Amino acid sequence: MYDDLKELNTEVYVISVDSVFVHKVWAKQEIEEMYDEQLPFPMVADQNGALGRAYGVYDEEGMIDVRGTFLVDPEGNLQAYTVQTPPVGRNFLETIRTIQAYQDCFKNDGKTATPAGWTPGKAVLTPSPELVGNVHKEYNPKTY
Amino acid sequence: MLKVGKPAPAFSAPAYLNGGFTNVSLEDLKGKWGLLVFYPGDFTFV
Repeated sequence: MYDDLKELNTEVYVISVDSVFVHKVWAKQEIEEMYDEQLPFPMVADQNGALGRAYGVYDEEGMIDVRGTFLVDPEGNLQAYTVQTPPVGRNFLETIRTIQAYQDCFKNDGKTATPAGWTPGKAVLTPSPELVGNVHKEYNPKTY
Repeated sequence: MLKVGKPAPAFSAPAYLNGGFTNVSLEDLKGKWGLLVFYPGDFTFV
């Protein structure tokens, strides 16, 4: 998973309201035991929730940051995010696909767009006045 | 207000990395893609 992100020139920060000391204990006691290696990315301490508030994920009642995943492009612009309530975890395969799709669009200087269901290697669309009303000629969701 | 296509909110915060303590910021991510992953708390596994 992390290797996929590395290949995509993507740096990860994981963030919770826990202190750096708690992060250290959790990393050492459980995560490094499970994976048998150090975590390759920073565990950020958002102890007063300021960071979570800035991104709209801080739960004032529970005093925690709920699950949120935010994709920032190399210029510092927010491109995509998902936020979810506690019982459901993430699917990082979709996160990876989203990064691949944005990188594909950036590679073409924003002149192309990836249609619904795009995965690497599939055709992209080039939006233009001529394409309006003619998307069905280039893109069939049943066979794409 | 958070908006896609606009600058992500800037921040700088303490972090644990590779056995030590450091500081990280949004600025540090410039030139690379950045993935910010918020989660409710340590010692949970959802």
